[in-house]
Amino acid sequence: MIRYVTRRLLLAVPTLFGITVVVFLLVHLAPGSPGLAGEGSLRRPTGHAAEEMRRLYGLDRPLPERFAKWMSRVARFDLGESFVDHRPVSERIREALPNTLLLNGTALVLALLIAIPLGVIAGGSPEGTFDRASAAALFALYSMPTFWAALLLQTLLAVQLRWLPLYGVASDSPPAGAAGLLDRLAHLALPVTCLTYGTLAFIARLVRSGVAEARAGDYVLAARARGASRRQALWRHAFRNALVPLLTLAGLMLPALLSGSVIVERIFVWPGLGQLYLDSILSRDYPVILALSLLTAAVTLLATLASDIAAAIADPRVRDGTVS
Amino acid sequence: MARLPGSGRVALAVVVGLWAIAASTPLFRERAREIRLAERLLPPSAAHPFGTDDLGRDLLARIVAATPISLTIGIVSAAVSLIVGFTVGATAGWFGGAVDLVLSRTIEVVLCFPLLFLLLAIAAFLPPSPWTIIAAIGLTTWPGDARYARGEILRMRELGYAHAARTMGATTPRILIRHLLPNALPPLIVSAAFGVGWSILAEASLSFLGVGLPGPATSWGGILAAAPSHILEAWWIALFPGVALFLTVSAYNLLAEGLRTALSEGGGRV
Repeated sequence: MIRYVTRRLLLAVPTLFGITVVVFLLVHLAPGSPGLAGEGSLRRPTGHAAEEMRRLYGLDRPLPERFAKWMSRVARFDLGESFVDHRPVSERIREALPNTLLLNGTALVLALLIAIPLGVIAGGSPEGTFDRASAAALFALYSMPTFWAALLLQTLLAVQLRWLPLYGVASDSPPAGAAGLLDRLAHLALPVTCLTYGTLAFIARLVRSGVAEARAGDYVLAARARGASRRQALWRHAFRNALVPLLTLAGLMLPALLSGSVIVERIFVWPGLGQLYLDSILSRDYPVILALSLLTAAVTLLATLASDIAAAIADPRVRDGTVS
Repeated sequence: MARLPGSGRVALAVVVGLWAIAASTPLFRERAREIRLAERLLPPSAAHPFGTDDLGRDLLARIVAATPISLTIGIVSAAVSLIVGFTVGATAGWFGGAVDLVLSRTIEVVLCFPLLFLLLAIAAFLPPSPWTIIAAIGLTTWPGDARYARGEILRMRELGYAHAARTMGATTPRILIRHLLPNALPPLIVSAAFGVGWSILAEASLSFLGVGLPGPATSWGGILAAAPSHILEAWWIALFPGVALFLTVSAYNLLAEGLRTALSEGGGRV
């Protein structure tokens, strides 16, 4: 076990370095002037002003020198200032982070809560009525573009029926106490739904195939023979088989959620990391782009490490490399 | 090759139908670009079955006119992704050792980024064109195929026929392409079919977010980009382009599922 964890940690070091190189090259090889709109914009600086920008942000230095400087600053958690409003990047990220955590956290928990029972029940009787119906429904969800689902839900529930607010985190003048909480929940409902269904479909399909495969296994049959109920055999024995691929892929659900977050936050005007990233891409705000890509990739790397180790704890075959 | 299941055959028919529609777009291109400000934001009617957009353009004509670009970008990006993925994965699996270590780290690095983050950065920084979109999608979605190809080649290089080919003096590229690729192909075809649906979605997302195709050559995502500003009065702008998108992506995904079933029943030979 210790050997597995050490090996996994050592392999993460070059990956982390690779992440920093990709992030840095991505933004610094890109044309377009930083801090202002791209080609053809009236706000694009020319002549002397453009020179000044280059000097001020070290854009006239050779690439390796800028990389070394940037790395040494990142190592001290100094992410620099935004080109757009000259506030520290870390401050802008700190403002947006809670909104994104609330949105994605709720979506992930909901997805797991719905998808696991769904997958176990469907996998428990493969090709049964429930399995076929849920497979069709999950398939539809899987192929449904997030932004289209968001627009349809907005049209139906916010514009036509007026049950839920169209967008935003809370009302302009939110009521106090329990009514205020209800107001927040009402604002959360649509964006969370849009972010949940894709992950839900993915997890449910994974669990279903794991359970369906294990269901016919000797150990599940043995459990039944020892007098375990059908429900016990499915949940305690067959579900465990589905747990390992679920744990292994858990780390990679994070970047998928964040991708969805860009679209959902944009449509529902939700001031989170996705919105911040899109804004900084559109305004060529290099420090914010660099910081956010680095941060999300590094956190994902940590999450995949954690999920690999969790899978190794759950299944000895992962440790000795029999299955990956 | 085993037969496609019923759902797969329906999906194949839909895909063929979509390409037939794509071939008929020259008839609609004129109307798709014609701006009639007097007819802006009209609800669906006999004259405009899908209504009109904020510039009075006929929505049905626009959706039909956008078909070839969405379909082409989907196919070409998936092909780029498959080629890059197979090359990287097969090289890693065949040579092993240090080569494998470096390439596997590279795959890991790409997988760590939220896909849309990478797509947005590439699409926003390169000059806007269909090729930029194809490059962005193709160069970010390959790691999945690469992982798969690596595992398959790693398994197959120790099989008898790979050894036999090597003994007879075949070069490495020849063994990989002539002998191993045909056997790794069926699952890669399934993955590519899923990739087409996925790429169409990715392109639509980029266009929806405003960093996709420029000018009048819009895609379904680009048409949908106008929907949020008119959500209060023009639901048809949100509904119809999305139906086209959903139908296309579902058809490709269903076709991929069908291919998977057919190929696994057929013993893995194409």
